[in-house]
Amino acid sequence: MNRWLGPALAAPVTLCLLLSFAAPMLVVAMLSLHEVADPFGPLLQRPSLAQFTVIATDPFYSRVIRETMLLGFGVTAICIVLSYPLAYWLARMPAKWRPLAFSVILIPLLTNVVVRSLGIILLLAPEGLLNSVTGLVGLPPMRNMLFTHGAVAIALAQVFMPFMVLALYDSLQNTSPRVHEAAESLGASPAVRFLTVDLPLSLPGLRAGIVIVFLTSTTAYVSATLLGGKKVWTTGMLVVQEAINYLNAPMAAALALMMTAIGLAFAALTSFLIGRLMPWTSGRKSRPVTPPKAVLAVIDVVGRPISWLLLAAALLLLLLPLVLVCVQSFNDVPQATASGFRGFTLRWYEAVLWGGAYADSFWVSMRLALASMVVALALALPAAFALARHPFRGRSVLLVFWLLPLSLPGIAIGVGMLRLLQIYVAIPPFIGLMAIHVVVILPFAITLLTASVMALDRALEEAAASLGANPARTFLLVTLPALAPGLFAAGMVGFLLSFGEVTVTSFVTTARLTTLPVRIYADSTFSLEPTAHAISALLIAFTVVALILIGRAVRLDRLYAR
Amino acid sequence: MTVSRRTVNKLILGAGLTAPYHFVRPAVAQPKPGDELVVGVWGGAQERIVKAHIEPALVEKYGCKISYVLGGTGERRARAYAERGRPSFDVIYLNIYESRQAVRDGVTQAPTPAVENFENLYPLARLGGYGVAFNPCTIVYDKTRASAPITSWKDMWNPEWQGRIAWPLMGGAEGISALMMAARAWGGDENNVEIAFEKIKELKPLAAIQSSQAQLFEMFDQDICDLSIEFGSFTRSYAETRNPNIEIADPVEGQAVTMNVACITEGSRNQKLAEEWINLHLSEDCMLAYAREIYYSPTVSNLTIPDDLKPKLIIGDQVDRLVDFDWDVVTAGLPKWQARFDREIAG
Repeated sequence: MNRWLGPALAAPVTLCLLLSFAAPMLVVAMLSLHEVADPFGPLLQRPSLAQFTVIATDPFYSRVIRETMLLGFGVTAICIVLSYPLAYWLARMPAKWRPLAFSVILIPLLTNVVVRSLGIILLLAPEGLLNSVTGLVGLPPMRNMLFTHGAVAIALAQVFMPFMVLALYDSLQNTSPRVHEAAESLGASPAVRFLTVDLPLSLPGLRAGIVIVFLTSTTAYVSATLLGGKKVWTTGMLVVQEAINYLNAPMAAALALMMTAIGLAFAALTSFLIGRLMPWTSGRKSRPVTPPKAVLAVIDVVGRPISWLLLAAALLLLLLPLVLVCVQSFNDVPQATASGFRGFTLRWYEAVLWGGAYADSFWVSMRLALASMVVALALALPAAFALARHPFRGRSVLLVFWLLPLSLPGIAIGVGMLRLLQIYVAIPPFIGLMAIHVVVILPFAITLLTASVMALDRALEEAAASLGANPARTFLLVTLPALAPGLFAAGMVGFLLSFGEVTVTSFVTTARLTTLPVRIYADSTFSLEPTAHAISALLIAFTVVALILIGRAVRLDRLYAR
Repeated sequence: MTVSRRTVNKLILGAGLTAPYHFVRPAVAQPKPGDELVVGVWGGAQERIVKAHIEPALVEKYGCKISYVLGGTGERRARAYAERGRPSFDVIYLNIYESRQAVRDGVTQAPTPAVENFENLYPLARLGGYGVAFNPCTIVYDKTRASAPITSWKDMWNPEWQGRIAWPLMGGAEGISALMMAARAWGGDENNVEIAFEKIKELKPLAAIQSSQAQLFEMFDQDICDLSIEFGSFTRSYAETRNPNIEIADPVEGQAVTMNVACITEGSRNQKLAEEWINLHLSEDCMLAYAREIYYSPTVSNLTIPDDLKPKLIIGDQVDRLVDFDWDVVTAGLPKWQARFDREIAG
């Protein structure tokens, strides 16, 4: 029985991904082997490497791929530098303030990516906040901050930094206070302690954070389109252009597969390199590093101010665009992108609350996010137990398959889904949309829950069993409550991911199921009004209240405690 | 085989019984309460206007339900192509060249007099579906930065605009209009766009590549650029409400025709409702609402246009002056031109 328990627990998630992810992916793979684009041609054709040959020989494609990679590195670097002080700050925050502090990273995640990018525009525009501030000290306005790689990198860092912070927080939180006491008793100052103790111990979190940020930022296209003004090209934009504007699905599919291959190679390389830095995880002996005294003296002096400066920068980057979004929601301007305050108005709130359209979309998004989150957790939990407790052959291969949706850009799934629409329309729209969202959530849910299951204290379950509880009773009364923080964290991340998903959803949405992000994105293609900002401001208020309430019911300080 | 009298009688009886079906069949196609018409349309003002001026009349008449799929034409078109023959949309709005191509590809239907107002459409608006709004593209610029008013497409090459032009992204109606008019102005045409590419390269460095009117107006506000090629309609709204310095040029070579087209999908299950929807879009009430709110010019010739609107719209003889292109050539050349634009001009 036990031999089959692992595969049995792994079966539901595998089956779900085979149905809702492997099918579009297979379509993408088949499309990429088409010689020419023919929207009505058969899917099964004589395979040709024509598309890949074009990508390899056309300098334009190789340039865009190279620039996208560099952009990904840049964004990841910004995120690493800014996330450490923020994650450290969160980990040391007194429990009383933690719900509020957590909202610093959770609110941006809940705010629509279009709106967040517009926040960055309001920050960097010639008449934007940054120039207004520098203008106060007499500096001339900088007119060329928008439509540059720098602007795109800042916008992407703003969007994806929360993932890095969450991953690092997880590791930093886990470091035992006794290790810190030991370091201090050996004479390490706080700055030195961070470099020699916290930093090495946080490497697993850093590895997860780097992979997530790099993969998501290299496949993003909404922020890149808005902030880069088409002067900056990313591979994600190329895929969208080929698939949508040129109806050239084979080229879009080939580009998407190239991105996936590069992403997976990057993830493997990162894992390998960071693994080398952690010899203790594989039982090898680590060699202690002793920095020269002069260096230590400098670190002691500059460490603290630099970390405060970086913390301030991180908080500003995360929150300033959101503050601007809130301010803009009261601004009497005709367009969401118009910077400079021209007059106070409540009409955008009136349109959101009484106009009907946004409220409907909001409820669609809420229902969809809740349902997707519950289904994803129900699938991910057995999978997490299979991974953490019931090893079986082929488990690592299966894990790669489960995490694949993370590296295949959402737009590629969209391209695949387009070909499957004829079949897809037969499925009830809500179920279809939910299946796609579950695919998006699953990699995150599996990773988070596996770590939680691994950290479970088996002694408690054994104690329950020895006192006569059967396995079901033990699971319900002992295991599940112990998993509550992990489930809560995974549920929260899952809900937020589903609530904000726009890339694939915009392909498969139906007339009666327009989600909030799709509506905002649809409006932005014509002319986006500050109603988008009003609804985002309402969501921000809603998140803060929800977090405070949840903070009273669940101990948020144990959110990531494992 | 011998046919008995009884068999003949049965056949006659059968024919008699089934004959009324011939008269009943069209009645079956009539909309019934609860039918759902799915319309793919742009968000924002467009959605607001159709909801206010088309939906209520249709719902009242048939007790039907209208649902909307919002988004840009790109996503809509990609989806309609993927669903050819089994569409989830009944009516989709496309731009001028997309609509003609979609008819050729069997994705949408060619227009017919089944839509009552078809008779009133200008001939230009009877291709690729039912044209619902003329929305010509032309040069728009900040007149305070111009040494003289712009009267020709060639004026863009005056050195005073160097580095101050936001060129429209290729692929949208503005981008195609800009390329085609540049070609025409310098002696080329749809079949010879080489000259246009060479001339546009002379304008580099461009201040920006603009990918929507919202983005362009923000660029004007933020003093990022002073000139671009854009729909006159939206620009007029912008000039009237936000930036009186903006001028909409009427070049000697003409303004480039662009048009929004309502198309009924091939295989629509709500043919009659779709035709009625479009007929209502072409009605005076809806046409004037569009004209009043976003300066879309009517595509039907039987309207009484209020005097205050007349100078702001393209009407009567002005429609004949719009520069039309050989869209077959344009559609065929577009992928190549877009690729070339991305490589040599944008980026």
